[in-house]
Amino acid sequence: MHWKYDGYPWRLPCDLTMYRNNPVMKVILKAMTWFLLLLPSLATAAVVRSADGETGLVKWHFTAGDLEIELVQRLPDQTRGFFLARGFSSEVADEIATRCVFQTIVRNRGESPDGKPVAIDLGQWRMVHEGNRGGILLKEAWIASWPAAKVSQASRIAFRWATFPTVQEFLPGDYNWGMTAYGLPPGAVFDLNVIWQQAGQVQDGWIRGIECPADVERLK
Amino acid sequence: MSVLKRICVLCWCLLCFAAVVDADQTLTPVPGRPVAPEFELQDTVGKVHRLSDYRGRPVLINFWATWCPPCRDEIPSMNRAWGKIAKENIAMLAINVGEDEDTIFVFTADYPADFPILLDTDGEVIGQWPVKGLPTTYIVDPEGRIAYRAIGGREWDDEQLLDALRTLQK
Repeated sequence: MHWKYDGYPWRLPCDLTMYRNNPVMKVILKAMTWFLLLLPSLATAAVVRSADGETGLVKWHFTAGDLEIELVQRLPDQTRGFFLARGFSSEVADEIATRCVFQTIVRNRGESPDGKPVAIDLGQWRMVHEGNRGGILLKEAWIASWPAAKVSQASRIAFRWATFPTVQEFLPGDYNWGMTAYGLPPGAVFDLNVIWQQAGQVQDGWIRGIECPADVERLK
Repeated sequence: MSVLKRICVLCWCLLCFAAVVDADQTLTPVPGRPVAPEFELQDTVGKVHRLSDYRGRPVLINFWATWCPPCRDEIPSMNRAWGKIAKENIAMLAINVGEDEDTIFVFTADYPADFPILLDTDGEVIGQWPVKGLPTTYIVDPEGRIAYRAIGGREWDDEQLLDALRTLQK
């Protein structure tokens, strides 16, 4: 193999141009360049499940390209307490609390060099539970189901802003958080198919084995 | 492979890195700078604030609630920012959504706020602004138009963010 150093004497070994006549180095440099150029599109979905050391609450951290989603278990009692403190009757607070609620954080990590927005529509997300496929619970359906006399205006305002918006576009750096509900009983396990759009392309990924938080009785 | 190509690759990598590093402390310019919806709200001491009262000054308008964790996180940095800009002809208004004075009074014992906190108890004002979630912040220019927005919390005492406000004064 011919290895010719054709650089100037003051060049440092890290100056890659001096390896231009070496065929092996040429291939390596080419591969490195293409790897760097294709890095964003190679960003496949990754899911990490972890548990909080103190509370024991489990969270699922999903990343794919610019999109980052975090689902953190909310104990039914936490959710019940939150809505009771905002004027909901115990009946309605309990109804919300026991429908598999997660604190949800969505972020555009802004890793694309051209900074494209990420759009999500929770109405498109699908969940699979015991072989059944369906949509998640949307805030509009909750609100529509409450007669005016049952839930006060102040409580509706709190619910509206505490739950995740159904449709939202995230520019690089934007994030939002709020509760999402999946309608399953405490302790149920399901797979979630998350769907989003970026640069006019629909993309999707799976978060599998999400566990609805158990209710107080089950923790005893 | 040309040296130029390698330089391009290096620049591209640096741009990606910069985008990641800066992702959290950004303000998004609002295209066309639409006119900010007018409001008239009382603050926690009963003083009435109209957005039009602040014409001629940049105004930071933050929508928040006490139960919102990222809102709580950014209140201390807003207070530090207020300490820096209060004398610079820049206004800061935090609009609380859907809560009463007592709740805010208890909250500010733990999270002091020297800037005005306005009460949008019935959620009417936030409904007129293009807010999707809390916290959301808008920067209104001296002509009363929405120049920037920030969805989610920020470290508001970051000089880069404050410079964006100061630039609007000129």
